[in-house]
Amino acid sequence: MPDPLVSKLKVLIVETLRLEDVVPAEIPDDEPLIGGGLSLDSIDALELVVRLEKEFGIKISSSEESRVALASIGSLASYIRAHVAPDRLPV
Amino acid sequence: MNPPAPTASTTSPPIVAPGYNRPPRNPGPSWGFGFLRLADRLLPEWLYRPLRAAGTWVAMLGMHAQRAHSRAYLRAVLGREPTSREVFRHFFVFEEALILKLRVAGGHPHRGVLAAGSEDFQRIIQSDEPALLGTFHFGHSDLTGFLFGGQEKRRVALIRQRVGNSRDTDQLAKRFAGWVSFIWVNAGENPLFAIKDAIASGSSVALTCDRIEFSARSEAFTFLGARRLFPFTIYHLAMIFQRPVLLSVGVPGGPGETIVHSSPAWRPDPRLGREENFALARAHFQTFLSRIEDLLRTNPYWWFNFIELNPEVPAAC
Repeated sequence: MPDPLVSKLKVLIVETLRLEDVVPAEIPDDEPLIGGGLSLDSIDALELVVRLEKEFGIKISSSEESRVALASIGSLASYIRAHVAPDRLPV
Repeated sequence: MNPPAPTASTTSPPIVAPGYNRPPRNPGPSWGFGFLRLADRLLPEWLYRPLRAAGTWVAMLGMHAQRAHSRAYLRAVLGREPTSREVFRHFFVFEEALILKLRVAGGHPHRGVLAAGSEDFQRIIQSDEPALLGTFHFGHSDLTGFLFGGQEKRRVALIRQRVGNSRDTDQLAKRFAGWVSFIWVNAGENPLFAIKDAIASGSSVALTCDRIEFSARSEAFTFLGARRLFPFTIYHLAMIFQRPVLLSVGVPGGPGETIVHSSPAWRPDPRLGREENFALARAHFQTFLSRIEDLLRTNPYWWFNFIELNPEVPAAC
């Protein structure tokens, strides 16, 4: 069964960045988000970070932190689990 | 092999903008600004000004690339081949703006005065609302962020390129400390996150909108008879942070004055879709760019980009 957080993140990325041709479930968990198959750039990364901050109440305060968090869907999910109270995570 | 033709819209490579992390260029010797300041204190203006003109000639003769770019720009704005004297005047007007900057940094009284039609600029700069302030390498524009930060007691984060000799900027920063801070585009960190932090802390952010080397997003606009690429990142930031965009340039006014021409505010409209918002943003930028072009038609030497003129794209774009 798919991880609910991973599934939610994929939908959130597609919605936030208006990736009309991308099916959320088809985004590989380990594919680099920036510079990978989704062709996201620095402005996309910033927009995504702002949305994630609102959605999960976190603060990603540096480009280095964002680089780690946005390395892939899997690493983003790990980052959010490490910074968000469990009751805020999707089940 | 020729490089591919630029397209109407470009994006940056991952995370970084094109000129990000490039080593700082050096606009002159490290002692240059100190020497100019010392001469300014010791020499009377009737002697110092012709000496500055002579120095500008010498410097200009050694700056082959900048001279070629000045000539290309002047050809575009004048519609004919510029004379060597006109190229010199372009350099000299820039040099005089630099001298003014050094004088203001040294405590010389100077103030910004808003041109007619700047009501939005005045209202926003006097409010607590952080805004994105777009400006250009043009006339006295380098001073406007400092002047309004100091005059209106508004916190402004200026996005700048760290160059080999930034003493003029460092001294201005010292004079307007508390109101003006810097985000360096080539200091190793991604400036977009510094912009995010600045806005979150209530600062306005001033960024130049004419050089595409550090721009994450660029688009084509009509300028000097062609469709040319200009940075468009400021509007993307406005959409992300839901902040207004104000464009402005400073031009020489009376003694001790810079007249600031500014655009009406552009705000993302939540009732409109993203593309409709960007269509309005493009019209906003084009209107102000046309206003700059009008100013340049009467004062061609105020364009302070001694680099390649913004690249042309096919008219269909």
